[in-house]
Amino acid sequence: MALIEIKDISKHFGGLKAVDQVSISIEKGQIYGLIGPNGAGKSTLFNCVAGLYPPTSGKVIYDGEDITGWKPWNVCRKGLARTFQIVKPFQKRTVLYNVMVGSFLKTSNPSEARDRAMEVLKRFNLADKWNILAGNLTIADRKRLEIARAMATEPDVLLLDESMAGLRPNEVDETLDEIRKIRDSGVTIFMIEHIMRAIMTVSDRITVIQFGKKIMDGTPQEVANDERVIKAYLGESYGAA
Amino acid sequence: MDFDIILQAIINGLLTGSYYGLAALGLTLIFGVIKVINFAHGSLLMVGMFTAYWIVKLTGWNPYAALLVVVPLLFLFGYGLQGFLIKPVLIAQRDVREPTEVIIVTTGVWYILDNLALMLFGAEYRVVQTSVSGQIFMLGDYIFPKPQLYGFIITAATSFLLVWFLKYTKMGKAIRAASLDRDAASLMGINQYRVYNIAFGIGAAIAGIVGCVLIPFYYVFPTVGVVFDVKCFIIVVLGGLGSIPGALVGGAIIGLIESIFAQFIASTWTELIVYVVFLAVLFIRPAGLFGEKRDW
Amino acid sequence: MNSGSRRKTIDTVLKVALAVLVFTLPLWIKNPTYMQILIFMLLYAYLTTSWNLVGGFAGVLPLGHSAYVGIGAYTSTILWITWGVSPWLGMWVGAFIAAVVGTIIGIPTLKLRGAYFALSTMAFGEGVRVLAENTVKVGPCVVGGPQGICLPLVPGNNLALFQFVSKTPYYYIILIMLCIALFITWHISRIRPGYYLAAGGEEPEAAEALGVNVSKYKVWAMALSCFMTALGGTFLAQLTLYFYPKQILGLDFSFELAFIALIGGRGTIAGPVIGALLLRPVSEFTRIYLSSVLPGLHLVIFGAILILVMIYQPFGLVRPLSRFYDRMLDALSGEKKKER
Ligand SMILES: Nc1ncnc2c1ncn2[C@@H]1O[C@H](COP(=O)(O)OP(=O)(O)O)[C@@H](O)[C@H]1O
Ligand SMILES: [Mg+2]
Repeated sequence: MALIEIKDISKHFGGLKAVDQVSISIEKGQIYGLIGPNGAGKSTLFNCVAGLYPPTSGKVIYDGEDITGWKPWNVCRKGLARTFQIVKPFQKRTVLYNVMVGSFLKTSNPSEARDRAMEVLKRFNLADKWNILAGNLTIADRKRLEIARAMATEPDVLLLDESMAGLRPNEVDETLDEIRKIRDSGVTIFMIEHIMRAIMTVSDRITVIQFGKKIMDGTPQEVANDERVIKAYLGESYGAA
Repeated sequence: MDFDIILQAIINGLLTGSYYGLAALGLTLIFGVIKVINFAHGSLLMVGMFTAYWIVKLTGWNPYAALLVVVPLLFLFGYGLQGFLIKPVLIAQRDVREPTEVIIVTTGVWYILDNLALMLFGAEYRVVQTSVSGQIFMLGDYIFPKPQLYGFIITAATSFLLVWFLKYTKMGKAIRAASLDRDAASLMGINQYRVYNIAFGIGAAIAGIVGCVLIPFYYVFPTVGVVFDVKCFIIVVLGGLGSIPGALVGGAIIGLIESIFAQFIASTWTELIVYVVFLAVLFIRPAGLFGEKRDW
Repeated sequence: MNSGSRRKTIDTVLKVALAVLVFTLPLWIKNPTYMQILIFMLLYAYLTTSWNLVGGFAGVLPLGHSAYVGIGAYTSTILWITWGVSPWLGMWVGAFIAAVVGTIIGIPTLKLRGAYFALSTMAFGEGVRVLAENTVKVGPCVVGGPQGICLPLVPGNNLALFQFVSKTPYYYIILIMLCIALFITWHISRIRPGYYLAAGGEEPEAAEALGVNVSKYKVWAMALSCFMTALGGTFLAQLTLYFYPKQILGLDFSFELAFIALIGGRGTIAGPVIGALLLRPVSEFTRIYLSSVLPGLHLVIFGAILILVMIYQPFGLVRPLSRFYDRMLDALSGEKKKER
């Protein structure tokens, strides 16, 4: 039994089938990639899993339990933390404050939450910036903060929505290292990425979607060599990284 | 109850509702685009009304001719208001999802305008005799007061023009884009804040139009705007903030409630019914009749 | 002497001196008019601090809080006049009713975007006013319609019935209420609910993704805020001994609370106090000295001040003032503030 079973998920916005009958199953400990051209429906699929809105049809099974249509905070308490493609830091608050909101999930004691948040900040090389307002961070640090904040909830599964978009190549490599480290600490990762090179190197398995429909899934190797995938991506700038 | 009386009440309600809706239209446009609640809206309406009042009083013009002066004047006024007073606060708060602090500015403008009018013209209620005042139009046994009927027509024309402008002109499209996403207008190569200025100007001009419509049958006094402010707020929430049909339908609903219930109960209680209906809608359809739960 | 300690001593001395001054003020000021102005300042600071729980921390803009002031005033007064219940007891009943009403209004509206909440609360406040104006009597209870209620006078200073001839007891009662309210907001801002409220107010979706049931926390904040506001309503009724809908349930009143918070610094602990300290005297003195000269001028000035503060200090006056205080300490102690 896979850890996450996404079964025939669809999401329609009015007449638009943003996600159409997509099924994915993710094993515990995997880094699972989700790719597809812009507007393919990747974020929408994430939002259905994370509870931002309920899917039009289909099911999400997590660890044997049906979590379809759960509210986002319940999904998070269940152990699935997510980041947003357009990062949403609490801009008027310090970096530490941002992460503490996450670490309060597992403790109600403020000083313990603070200690745990500082630990997380150290892991993500943000410790020296703890007192800076989140709104004043660079893009790269904002993206890092987004991941740190999610990790502060001590999740079992991390959903990453384009955490590397807009980063410089060396920053992409740093993030890839961080993602591997998170996986090695026992967290299953389900990530969306637009940058092909990035996702190919870390993923154990990849699903490709286009126009809301699943084209294929397989290992990075299989995906990279697939005609349909190349076509889907050739429509735009291949390997934008 | 007599059927004729009810039908007459419906006619009155729709006629009244039309200028309520028109007043709410400007408010909803400004909110839809800039996400700012214009608490000075009633005061802009008052400015329009006083301008029209003096024009008619001093020149004896037809009240609708005053539109020629009032509309450009209020447009410029709204344009400047947004450009000089609101924009700096918006810029300081551009990271904030909803710049609620701006309402302090619009409320400050409300206080200033209403009290300047008080200082200039005194607190008395004024009426001016116009060429259409008190005239009626009969259709069968039903009475259509002409000023209100013209108001209805002007509402229809204004709404039509506004929708056309938003749909088919470049600036209109930019305004619509800006209402969906704060940065979208910049992407179209149009300065975001110019779009805001123009949207605010149009909203103010519409408030001015209402002022002209009201002149033949309504009192003018410095705080006349407050009467309409609260009504407009109820209407736009009822209809859905930012929605043009919502404003018109909401206006009609409030107008109908007022005139129909007035047949049965004291007018102070009809006011209460308006609030009860408003709260009921809030519980059943919190985002308003035409509102969407959209992420700004 | 280790670095920073001189600065700290001066800081402590200044703060203790301020506290002593505030607690002994009635000994120096004998003029009842000035006492009244001071009491109102504290009352507004108290009400705005209560407002701030939801309006500041939860990041929404309630514009109908006079409804809860009114609920407090009407409940305790009616209970006293009709059944002889002491206002000291009645104020808790009023507060409880206000909390329930606030919850009922909050549940549908707090889920929506801020503007809906602002306008809905405003319309609700107006609805309550119209209701009060239309109600003269309910069963044995006199509500008084548009005329409002006059509280029967009790001779002398009567602590049990919350009526005093002297202004001094009122001063201390509201001062203690304000201190408690400030302590509550300070405490909340440091524990989990405070973090969750602020997070949910700023970026609801991000907060929800971090496990926060944002609307639940907002509704709690609303209930607590309404509860505390209603307590202030009873105080207002006992202080003025006369109230009527247009005043106690008025739109102007609700707006003034919001202004004080926004001018002072929304969502900060000191903001409401600073806002009340600055805005109340402005509105009182301009009203007293200008309204006889030229009616309306004081409100023009008031409006202009609001606009200027918002254009030059859109996040309120707490920030520049605390920066000023820091610089003053630096100058007095000859030491620099340590960056924590
Ligand atoms: N809330 C929404 N309402 C309407 N349409 C939406 C909404 N969210 C996304 N869409 C549409 O769904 C499609 C898929 O979007 P998205 O999932 O964001 O794509 P991706 O993340 O793959 O780039 C797009 O056409 C987008 O415009
Ligand atoms: Mg996406």
